[in-house]
Amino acid sequence: MANSNLPRRIIKETQRLLSEPAPGISASPSEENMRYFNVMVLGPSQSPYEGGVFKLELFLPEEYPMAPPKVRFLTKIYHPNIDKLGRICLDILKDKWSPALQIRTVLLSIQALLSAPNPDDPLSENVAKHWKSNEVEAVETAKEWTRLYATGA
Amino acid sequence: MDSDYEIVDAYDGDSAEDYFSGGDTDMDEGDSIGGFEEDEDDGDNAGYEYGYASDEGSEKTYTVLRESDIRQRQEESISHVSSVLSISRVAASVLLCHYKWNVSQLHDEWFADEERVRRSVGLLSKSVILFPNDSEMTCGICFDSYPRDQIHSAACGHPYCTTCWKGYITTAINDGPGCLLLRCPDPACCAAVGQDMILKLASDEDREKYSRYFVRSYIVDKKKTKWCPAPDCENAVEFELGSNVYDVTCLCSHPFCWNCTEEAHRPVDCSTVAKWILKNSAESENMNWILANSKPCPKCKRPIEKNQGCMHMSCTPPCKFEFCWLCLGAWSDHGERTGGFYACNRYEAGKQEGLYDEAEKRREMAKNSLERYTHYYERWASNQTSRQKSIADLHQMQTVHLEKLSDKLKEPESQLKFIIEAWQQIIECRRVLKWTYAYGYYLPEHETAKKQLFEYSQGEAEAALERLHQCAEKELLVFLDDGVFDINVTPDFGTFRPKLAQLTRVTCSYFENLVRALENGLSEVDSQAASSTSVKNGGAKGKGGKGKGSSRTGRAVARNIDDSDRWNCDRCTYANPDSSSLCQMCHHQR
Ligand SMILES: [Zn+2]
Ligand SMILES: [Zn+2]
Ligand SMILES: [Zn+2]
Ligand SMILES: [Zn+2]
Ligand SMILES: [Zn+2]
Ligand SMILES: [Zn+2]
Ligand SMILES: [Zn+2]
Repeated sequence: MANSNLPRRIIKETQRLLSEPAPGISASPSEENMRYFNVMVLGPSQSPYEGGVFKLELFLPEEYPMAPPKVRFLTKIYHPNIDKLGRICLDILKDKWSPALQIRTVLLSIQALLSAPNPDDPLSENVAKHWKSNEVEAVETAKEWTRLYATGA
Repeated sequence: MDSDYEIVDAYDGDSAEDYFSGGDTDMDEGDSIGGFEEDEDDGDNAGYEYGYASDEGSEKTYTVLRESDIRQRQEESISHVSSVLSISRVAASVLLCHYKWNVSQLHDEWFADEERVRRSVGLLSKSVILFPNDSEMTCGICFDSYPRDQIHSAACGHPYCTTCWKGYITTAINDGPGCLLLRCPDPACCAAVGQDMILKLASDEDREKYSRYFVRSYIVDKKKTKWCPAPDCENAVEFELGSNVYDVTCLCSHPFCWNCTEEAHRPVDCSTVAKWILKNSAESENMNWILANSKPCPKCKRPIEKNQGCMHMSCTPPCKFEFCWLCLGAWSDHGERTGGFYACNRYEAGKQEGLYDEAEKRREMAKNSLERYTHYYERWASNQTSRQKSIADLHQMQTVHLEKLSDKLKEPESQLKFIIEAWQQIIECRRVLKWTYAYGYYLPEHETAKKQLFEYSQGEAEAALERLHQCAEKELLVFLDDGVFDINVTPDFGTFRPKLAQLTRVTCSYFENLVRALENGLSEVDSQAASSTSVKNGGAKGKGGKGKGSSRTGRAVARNIDDSDRWNCDRCTYANPDSSSLCQMCHHQR
């Protein structure tokens, strides 16, 4: 029902996501709702998240692509721009969204955010403080969380 | 009529003409006012409500800009930039939006480095993408293919279909004024989306919003121009920098101070107003109870609600005690009949103590400072409330009563203009009076002579205003009663008319004097040593006042603080000197 009127754009994006997935990223629509995607992102190499597999959910609202998709981490992650609920602080998911961006570009940006945490624009105050005061220790915590929550699941 | 403000030429005249009425009344007949010398060009002064605002002569200090005036200026800037920089009008308006309509800054930067300016605002010299010659193209948003005529792009050439552009544009417009700086949807592209494209593709409703943002962008960050702070008003006021009179009145009739954008507060300066407002918010907890609209009758103690504008209260039968809302004293001590000296504007330390049974709470309050503040605050707030009530009353008068009254009296509404003028005078005077209480609060206690002059002038003005307000509010009621027919009414109305008109005139004159005195920092007392004998003989001539205003100021000071050698006119209540047998205000025989 929700899938009957799916815009061509969403169908095309979905097809392309499935046929030529971006490296380290997989996204597949749920069977009940083609606007809801189960996403897996591999932790980028040389980041504290390396070796982890992070689950996310992505939802395309009715206004998509005029409005950005809603994305959230389901796997616990220690990152200054991601909060306890898995919400992500990323400009293209807010005011910098453009309808010419796609699910693929969004997920690539999230992957890039894992490689380059930005404690100056924090979503999680405590993590950001930790990152700024003692980066080595914060990175250790992030690695440990990756081991604890993002592996072997 | 002339005044020290000017309304932009293009305005249609109706509403403003009514509001700023009064310049043509016989008040300006100059020499007609008793034994006092008038300046020959007195007739140049603005009407009643702004009469005292005119001491700067006919110098123009501000201009009200309506939306159409702003649009015209925008058009002029666009034309100018477009011709000087040899670019299209669309490109010129993109630049002007980015440069906040600062034409000279735009010129400077453009001629210093055109490429940099073009890059930063997204005015590309040539397309990034060349249209292929295919008959169909794929939209970069919906990924569908369309014939060429349904694909549009900004100067960059990134192709999007009509539907997607519409969606993109409507989203941007509904996101706010950022739509004025709209760029191509491609995240890597910075090409500006021109107004032509936006207006072509937006819905009517969005076009309306867009053009509102466009107009408003003109005023943002302009030093000389500010929006009228009244809610729902779309006008702006452009101020001549350098002028020292900041009170302006928008065409929507909202008077405000251009400098601090608070409600107009002449004759009090902005810093006093700011201090006072801050003080009020700090004391707001203590003061809330004062704003309560009911007080116990000083005689029978039953609570009396204040639902009228003037301060003259009457208790309900059987008590019927008439008293003053402000000082809770008997009204008979306030009236002209007893020649009673109006003193409820004065603060005397300790005066309140034990005097009012009502004032349990007051007594509990820390004495002196808080009590003193309470005195001024209550009067400030009461005048504010009264002014609001009067605005509503005036509206009611204009929309309902005037027409009925005109039918009843078989007179055209234009003949009843004096009623409207009276209400306008009341509204303006309530505003001035209100602020004089903030002034009074900050007047140093030890400046005894100034304080005396201040309280005297304020008291005179306030007493006059109460008479006027009462006449307009209560005496008029009789004629508005639907049960009364013209035959009974007409003769009484014949005496009501001149009475109200004269009261309006007298009140205006008192307030002119009050405003002048305060704006001169009560400097009369310096030159006159505040001695009541020298004051009595009208020695104030030519003192203190700025230019033409001086003889009027003199008139206020020439009035003696001791009223015993005066008689009150039966018709207009003006206190005339014993030496004249004709009323100086209305020429009524003693
Ligand atoms: Zn499209
Ligand atoms: Zn582009
Ligand atoms: Zn206005
Ligand atoms: Zn001000
Ligand atoms: Zn009573
Ligand atoms: Zn009183
Ligand atoms: Zn008279």
